[in-house]
Amino acid sequence: MASLIKCPHCGVRPREEFSVRGDASVVRPSPAASDEEWHRYVHIRENPRGPYREHWQHAAGCRRWLVVHRNNVTHEVYDVMDAATVAKEVAQ
Amino acid sequence: MSLSLQNRHALEGHISGFSSFSNANHLSIVRGVAVISILVQPQRAEDARRALATIAESSARSCGPFEWLIVSETRSADSLLQEAISLDAASVDQSDGRVVMRIAGPDVRRILGKCVAVDLHPDSFAEGYSANLLIARIGANLARLAGDCFEIVVDRSNAVWLFEELVARGREFDLSAGFVG
Repeated sequence: MASLIKCPHCGVRPREEFSVRGDASVVRPSPAASDEEWHRYVHIRENPRGPYREHWQHAAGCRRWLVVHRNNVTHEVYDVMDAATVAKEVAQ
Repeated sequence: MSLSLQNRHALEGHISGFSSFSNANHLSIVRGVAVISILVQPQRAEDARRALATIAESSARSCGPFEWLIVSETRSADSLLQEAISLDAASVDQSDGRVVMRIAGPDVRRILGKCVAVDLHPDSFAEGYSANLLIARIGANLARLAGDCFEIVVDRSNAVWLFEELVARGREFDLSAGFVG
């Protein structure tokens, strides 16, 4: 796992300060969506090899949720953004 | 039933047995500090940052993009809370829940370097800079007050652990410890 994460608020920090929630690409379906869609959203996850976007929380730092774009093979971190910024960009 | 409550510092009893004088490297436990936590809405963060810097006899410690701790040794928590109200901020008195430690001396970076995983070089951790980070595996706020002087604000419940870790890691540098204030 990538051992140094560049938090957009705090700078370069060790991964021990973060907790990982998981895949950041899943989109919450509408409340009226079918059971299959909800089942897929709640339980089914891809397990990709290579570039991956994940939600990480900087639990011991600024406590913000971040979207970490990293490669789980080479451990290279491409990009780290505040999840609120990402959500705003998606909404636009 | 009436309760008789006593205001007792979290490190009372842990610090006895240490020498009463201070060596070159010294860990001071600051008593009677007012600590206020401040949280503002994201759109008001810039205004709040400027306003917090102007609060007299206090210093603002950054805890995140919209969060700060206001620390003052001379002012009361109530008077700081009054100022926070004018900022339209969510503010809570944390004075009884936090312990403030000040570590200073020529080897302070080598001692802290055993506890934190951030770069403490003066160019990187500038004077006046502060941040939440892991110190000896627990979350706390570290601030650089002056050249070789750092201040740690830690949760009361973790204070004994952190104090003992700092003392152990500072032993090779003759770190002394004592209360001030």
